[in-house]
Amino acid sequence: MVLTLSFYISLALFFLGLLVRMIGWLRVEIGTETGRIGLFTAVFSSLKAVLLTLLSPRIFKIMAVLITEIGLQLPLLKNGFLRWLAHMCMFYGFLLLVLMHALDETVTAALFQDYAATLNPFLFLRNLFGAMVLLGMALACLNRIGRGRKFKATNTNDLVLMILLGLILFSGFLLESVKIFSEPAFDRMAADYMGAEDEDDLEALKVYWSREFHVVFAQPPGSDDLETGRNLHMENCAACHSRPEAAFLSLPLSDRLRPLALWLNRSQADLWLWYFHFGVCFLAMILLPFTKFFHFISVPLSLMLRAADPPAPAPMPHKNPARLALEMDACTHCGVCSEHCSVAPIRRIIPNDHILPSEKLTGVKKLAHGKRLDPDVLESLSQGSFICTECYRCTQRCPSGLSLQTLWQLSKQTLAAKDFPEPHGWVRQYAADQWADRLEQSPADHPLCEDFARHRHVSESPETFSACIQCSICTNVCPVVSAGNGLTPPDMTPQQVMNLLRLNLKDLALGSRMVWDCVTCYLCQEHCPQGIRVTDILYDLRNIATRRLQQVRQLGPETPKTALPVASPPAAVRKNAL
Amino acid sequence: MEAGRIHCDLLVIGAGMAGASAALFAAKRGLKTVLVGSTAGLQFAGGMLDLLGVQAPNTANIPALRPWEAMAALIQEQPLHPYARIPLQEIRRAFVEFTELLASAGLSYYCEPENNLQIITSLGTRKTTYLVPKSMQSNAAALAQKPPCLLVDFEGLKGFSARQISATLGKHWPGLRHASISLNGAVHKSYPQPLAWELENQAVRAVLVKALRKQLQGEEVIGLPAVLGLASAGQVQAELEKELGLKVFEIPMLPPSMPGLRLKETMEKLFVNLGIQTLLQRQVQKVARSEGDGFTAYIGPDEPLTMVRARGILLASGRFFGKGLHATRKGILETIFNLPVYQPENRALWHHEDLLHSQGHPINRAGLETDENFRPLNSDGNAAFPNLFAAGTILAHNDWMHLKCGSGLSLATAYAAVNAFVQTRSNAFG
Repeated sequence: MVLTLSFYISLALFFLGLLVRMIGWLRVEIGTETGRIGLFTAVFSSLKAVLLTLLSPRIFKIMAVLITEIGLQLPLLKNGFLRWLAHMCMFYGFLLLVLMHALDETVTAALFQDYAATLNPFLFLRNLFGAMVLLGMALACLNRIGRGRKFKATNTNDLVLMILLGLILFSGFLLESVKIFSEPAFDRMAADYMGAEDEDDLEALKVYWSREFHVVFAQPPGSDDLETGRNLHMENCAACHSRPEAAFLSLPLSDRLRPLALWLNRSQADLWLWYFHFGVCFLAMILLPFTKFFHFISVPLSLMLRAADPPAPAPMPHKNPARLALEMDACTHCGVCSEHCSVAPIRRIIPNDHILPSEKLTGVKKLAHGKRLDPDVLESLSQGSFICTECYRCTQRCPSGLSLQTLWQLSKQTLAAKDFPEPHGWVRQYAADQWADRLEQSPADHPLCEDFARHRHVSESPETFSACIQCSICTNVCPVVSAGNGLTPPDMTPQQVMNLLRLNLKDLALGSRMVWDCVTCYLCQEHCPQGIRVTDILYDLRNIATRRLQQVRQLGPETPKTALPVASPPAAVRKNAL
Repeated sequence: MEAGRIHCDLLVIGAGMAGASAALFAAKRGLKTVLVGSTAGLQFAGGMLDLLGVQAPNTANIPALRPWEAMAALIQEQPLHPYARIPLQEIRRAFVEFTELLASAGLSYYCEPENNLQIITSLGTRKTTYLVPKSMQSNAAALAQKPPCLLVDFEGLKGFSARQISATLGKHWPGLRHASISLNGAVHKSYPQPLAWELENQAVRAVLVKALRKQLQGEEVIGLPAVLGLASAGQVQAELEKELGLKVFEIPMLPPSMPGLRLKETMEKLFVNLGIQTLLQRQVQKVARSEGDGFTAYIGPDEPLTMVRARGILLASGRFFGKGLHATRKGILETIFNLPVYQPENRALWHHEDLLHSQGHPINRAGLETDENFRPLNSDGNAAFPNLFAAGTILAHNDWMHLKCGSGLSLATAYAAVNAFVQTRSNAFG
């Protein structure tokens, strides 16, 4: 009774969670092109789309996807056999446990008339399914530990799932083990199913069950009439009980626990474990919409929606925010994207987790759901996002069929709109001399020292630019200078940037249009009669600027120059330098 | 033949005026030629070709209008000058052959064979020279005859002011006027090269013609900065003259000069046309003798080095800017073969105290001494190698800036050295 009630309460909470989650999809805003969709429109258009799809030939495609991508999980196989094996074990093991064991009264009993949980093959199968899940979990853990050396592979969500799954499995096996030697359980069953009140018969059955079924009795059975015991067993028990050897995992566990059996029997461990097992299962059900378990629903939905997309030759990537929200929820944090990410190696130089698509997605999800993010987090998310070259590899590899590339494109728009654009964007906030003023006020005078030790910057060493004779050949061949019409000239030319280096006024060059508009065509470098690495220097300045200007970017707007005691000499030199 | 090696008759080291023209002369004589070096020197070419600009070394401020007569004076005064080693007829032939080559690739030059020309520069001064690009023919004529003339500059273009030129020349040229035009709406360029490329565009030229027409007040000739196109310069000028119905000429600007760039690019076109193998913007790392009197040169700087096996080498690596010579505290060194360098005895004697001394500075006459066949000498005073030749400014006893004879010296010595190499080859084969 309590059990049924808690089941229905859990079920209700589960559906409530599901609803909350799905309504959340409609609140997602990502990119600057699309707005939010109203609840009515969303429901109406989804229903319409579902109906239209069901009536169109695309239904066959969806069914094919259902078999290959969800049933056989071929996208996972593409990413490695062990990964596929692990997931297949967990998926089918758990699914079959839910259907045949958790829902046995509804499913199994309906399919098999003489079903009993303790009868073979069900006893064996339950152990087998459990073993499959355990094997899958073990493989998955090994995989994550292996990857963990390369990058942060596991987050809280992954842990919660593993812990919940582990608790369910562990309590299940433990329950079965404890039940094997449980005297109270024997007594209950004997009272319910053995009509005879004969003490001798009961003792004989006890002997048989303690020998053959591993039950541990507080008072060793007085009789040793095994033959009678067997007969009684055949008569009363055998219809529902196969020998426990079929429980190939629970029985060994049970044997290990034997020394504690008396104590466990006395404290009614089987009952408590039973409550615990059900409790964890209900908890998992309630939490399903808010944990990684949710991918059980969201991934098939995402894959099927993709199958329902208008067909080739020119499939346009969708930009439907609600669907993108569903897809973000379908991320299982499996890490395949990060393994194949073209720019992931950059993280060795720039230690920012947001460079990895699998980690970036967490931030992007929060961003899309309108959660408040610290400027630091936004900064780091922006850096990671704009390092991405949209090479499409993550999208191609994602086993859940996420439109990752679209997500990155749109989240970049969002970030830019939130005033966290790529360096090329924010560097335009101020002119070169304004940046230089800011750098002058920056307390950190040489924040590059550590960096300098690691990578020697070409623009740092005088040998690179001291040979410049200001002949202007670089400026003359520069397509960026040439492209500047009268309205938008670059603020300085390559030759002038070289001159600033010679005058030790590098700070003034860092924010200049020339440095940032350079297309790295290398014409200047190839034409320089003095062999100066002009392009390399411009590029190097950009790298330095990204870091240094970042530090002074958040200084108050236009801090008055009067804050300085006297007009600083460099400012005067600077004006002449140009 | 070994893999990864280039085999050739003549390896020319240095891709400045001397090296580049030597490669052309050699290729034209049927030699398999490889050219290695930086074209940086050519980037600074003005586009005019000097023969000898001053009357005599001692009177360097007096321009020579009759260069061949001045040449005789020079040879008498400086018998060691490289010009003294070459018959005058050969020097003439060098110019003729070179300009014919340029013309074959579409770049026309103009000269009066017996005279030097004088042209207006962007400073308003007169430049005395022997050969000028066709686009400056009317420049020389205008300066000589002083007809009513309009000088025009472009608003925003750096380094050229029509007003400045007419302020300098106007005193003795009553019909000289200046104007400033803007191509706004079409183009606005601060630097000559982008503007020159823009003027290759017919639509931009139409704007220019319209703007020029507005400024004309009966002038017979128009002077413009030397930005009238690059690849199709002749066509640009011809079209302007046709549209305006009068003469249009170019006035040379400071480097990078567009006439110089046209010269450089025409020569690069000729390298291809004549089948010269080029290793441009690369440097010889070392040279070794290989069996049979040949040389093996290792070309870098990037590994793996390219190996070139040559029957002869022509060294035209220039002076200090070209890195053929290297100045140290103890003296001046030749950078590839470590040949003895003729030079002042010590550093104190390198320069006169007077920067503009009428004799020029002794260091500017430092360089390699050669025999009559332009073979550099070793310390014993003999040719260092039977098949090593030198040409251009690396040669001793020439102060080309002082005497305004840079191009002529390079062309003539390159011509003579290549001929000498051909001669030794035919001697060897009897």
